[in-house]
Amino acid sequence: MIGMLPSRSTARDLLHPEVLAGLKNLDLVARSVVEGFLIGLHRSPTFGFSQEFAEYRAYAEGDDPRFIDWNVYARTGKTYIKRFLGDTNSHLMILLDASASMGFGGPPVTKLRYGQFLAASLSFLAARQHDAVGCMIFDEEVRDYRAPSSRAGKLQGILHCIDSAEAAVGTRFDKPFDKFREQISRRGLVAVISDFYCDAEDLLAGVRPLAWHGQDVVLFQVLDQQELDPQFGNNVLLEDLETGKAIEVAPQFMREVYPKRIRAHIDSLAAAAASIGADHVLVNTCDSLDEALRNYLLFRQRRK
Amino acid sequence: MGFLTPLFLFGALAIALPIWLHRLQTQSSDRQSFSSAMLLETTEERVHLQKKLKYLVLLALRIALLLMIALAFAKPFLIRPPGSLTAGAAGTHLILVDTSVSMSRAGAFDQAIAVAGQAIDDVPPGALLQVLDVDDALHIGSSLSADKSDHRAAVSRLRVSALRLDFGSAMAAVDRLAESLPPPVTLHMISDFQGSAMPVRFADVVPSRVTRLIPHVVGTGAPFNWSVKFVRETAEGLDVGLFGFGDRERLADVELLLNGEVVEMRGLSETGPVTLRFTDLQYEQGDNRIQVRINTDDDLAADNQWFHVVENEPPASVPLITLNRGGLPVTYLSAALESDAGQSYHVEPLVIGEFDARVLGRYRWALLDDIGAIDEELDHALTAYLQNGGNLLAFSGIRAASSSILPVTGHRLSAATVDIGGSEFQSPGQIDTSHPVLAQTEGWHTVNVSRTIPIEVQAADQVLIRLENKQPFLIERRIGAGRLLLLLNGLDNRWNDLPLRPVFVSFIIETAGYLSGINEISKTYTTGASLPLSLVGNASGQVVDPDGNTVLSLADTTRAQQIKLDKPGFYEVYTSQDNMLVAANIDPRESDLTRISQELLDRWQDATARLDGIVAGQPGTVEPEPVELWHWLLFILAMVVIAESMLGNTYLAPLARANR
Repeated sequence: MIGMLPSRSTARDLLHPEVLAGLKNLDLVARSVVEGFLIGLHRSPTFGFSQEFAEYRAYAEGDDPRFIDWNVYARTGKTYIKRFLGDTNSHLMILLDASASMGFGGPPVTKLRYGQFLAASLSFLAARQHDAVGCMIFDEEVRDYRAPSSRAGKLQGILHCIDSAEAAVGTRFDKPFDKFREQISRRGLVAVISDFYCDAEDLLAGVRPLAWHGQDVVLFQVLDQQELDPQFGNNVLLEDLETGKAIEVAPQFMREVYPKRIRAHIDSLAAAAASIGADHVLVNTCDSLDEALRNYLLFRQRRK
Repeated sequence: MGFLTPLFLFGALAIALPIWLHRLQTQSSDRQSFSSAMLLETTEERVHLQKKLKYLVLLALRIALLLMIALAFAKPFLIRPPGSLTAGAAGTHLILVDTSVSMSRAGAFDQAIAVAGQAIDDVPPGALLQVLDVDDALHIGSSLSADKSDHRAAVSRLRVSALRLDFGSAMAAVDRLAESLPPPVTLHMISDFQGSAMPVRFADVVPSRVTRLIPHVVGTGAPFNWSVKFVRETAEGLDVGLFGFGDRERLADVELLLNGEVVEMRGLSETGPVTLRFTDLQYEQGDNRIQVRINTDDDLAADNQWFHVVENEPPASVPLITLNRGGLPVTYLSAALESDAGQSYHVEPLVIGEFDARVLGRYRWALLDDIGAIDEELDHALTAYLQNGGNLLAFSGIRAASSSILPVTGHRLSAATVDIGGSEFQSPGQIDTSHPVLAQTEGWHTVNVSRTIPIEVQAADQVLIRLENKQPFLIERRIGAGRLLLLLNGLDNRWNDLPLRPVFVSFIIETAGYLSGINEISKTYTTGASLPLSLVGNASGQVVDPDGNTVLSLADTTRAQQIKLDKPGFYEVYTSQDNMLVAANIDPRESDLTRISQELLDRWQDATARLDGIVAGQPGTVEPEPVELWHWLLFILAMVVIAESMLGNTYLAPLARANR
């Protein structure tokens, strides 16, 4: 599948989470998603993003010799490097929330699995554009961390790091984010993938230092359809996956009150993100991944 | 309110099931994981309470459903005052008064008469009434009517009898009577409810056609009573059994009267069972009147005397019809009868042709040494004698063997006498030991028979002994009211050695007892018993009761087969053959004045009422009517089922929609 370019319809199908859920290999998932996504982009006149030639630049010491245009060298005897439109050499740091609440959802996939698909796809897409990619798995603490790197072998390590994330305990944004801030020194893109079950102020407390640090932050809020539009026919005792607290709720409440509350919560998060110049993208685990990727590219394009 | 089958109330324990199910349901709201409770809120209390309230209503309905089922099976009833009865429900009221001996205890019968009068007054207007009294039989005191004055008069005519009451037979008689009465039948039973009157089976006292039994107990209080239980003849004299219960301090004297004269008096020191022995009594010839009398002021005077007859008769004559006054048969039969220790009979030879056959009517039984020896005239006389109840032991001697047809019986001889042959002998092979004559005899197998008279056995014959060659040896035939025992062999030592064997003596003595009826005749009876006249004389006779009145009318003297001894005392029986005395006494069971327990009485009352599905009230009062409630319970049960179904459906509908 990797060597062959899939047809457009088949490639588009691969963006759907129910299809991706059948794939065990996250590398394969990421490749399938990105390839399918890029095929879709070629059809779109709106975004115009591709690996199109932009300019030549004289080879300087330290450049990757793989990018030397040997045809130009044959004609001119000088070494030039090919530059492309998408080739900006930026950093992408992916922060994936692996708290217990991310274990909710499905079928076809839980929010964490969907977040893993998204993180892997972003990593693959960034690596394809020669960006340095890193990742951090966190819940209340930093569970795993891979520093950003553009080296070819690093991507597999990042994908493995993402794949090994498991939902556990609660969520905190301040402590893990502080540690993350201590680890990075360059400016870059920071994609936070979480369900963001926290107060907007708590989120800001974690994310605002990153913004002040010069990072461009995009918040991918991953929610399940059952969280956005819950369907219960009878009284139900709902148990919080993180705290274990059980609350008996009536179907009337879940039909009438809860949707308003989740909407207000999402809006408050979006407003908080906007207040610090960050982007907020709401992702439904039932939706295909291209929307999230498209949002990411738009965000990246705006930051260039 | 009460329950006819209260055990079914245990079924109400089934309400634990819905309670348990509802407890599970209230605890088992769907428990699901959710990403975060941050935005959730506990269900509003109002909604929660409403739901719980709905479940409680459903639970209450289910509990009510089970309770209704248990109650319906328990058959509850309410007591409704008698005034609410409809006139048509009054039915028939039977006033049954116990007139047995025990009711003569101090004050009991007067109380019974008063209670019966009150019961008549309390019967609702319009109800039919009938007064009955019962001792050993049920007697109708008044005809069925609503006129209470007739019944009050009938009650006033009641008297205590000398007979015994048995509740089983009394209830059976009431039941038969109630069959023809307009229902419902209410039985007011006025009695002292003696425990000794209860039959063995409790079911026998429960009448099936009586709707309600209202017992009225009279003659209560701790009884004190002396009674004579028996008088028994012994070798030394007379043993008199007495029994006293109640107050041990109250003493009594016992007098023994012989033919009306007091011969001895004894004192009784304390109550309890006592046996007194009276010796050296000088009896007169014939029947002697023995009377035991207790002088005391106990509660029941009727059982303070006992009557007994002691026979002191010389041996009676039994005629032996023969051709030879000095023949062997006379010798053998006389010797056999005289060897009896009691020696009731001695042989009186009557030579054929020398006596008037009409004299046979004096004897209860007779002997005939050769049935073939009688002439035609005697044949008719003996047949008539047997027809009238006489009994005959006949032998078949040499003259019978020469006949072709036996007199009296008409047996046809199939051949001449059969010589069994040479020195061979036959012995009795088949003996009917169930017959009274042969039950006590042993040694028949030692008898040797060389010749037999081969008769053709007829349908009326009962072969009691057969020889080993299957030839009949002893047969019995009923002729009219009499019996004939015919031994198909003689007593002259020619064809058998029976007279020389010990079995001959016992055979003759048992035959004497059997044919004379002496073994069946008792001279002491309890009141209420019947005396068969055939036992005291083969012809009808005259009977004089203890009061000196003639029991049988002139017409009855020829038709009556038995008389009822309904008074204590001596009955004199005069027959054409003999005069005899018979003593009648109060049934000793009437002397036990112990009442049946209240529990048993309640059970009797309940069992009677249960047959009709209702329970009667307490004794001595006009009882309220019980009203059953199970019909209403079933109606309510149906309503509860509908309500439970509808409410349950309202709960199931949202779940069904959610599942869709």
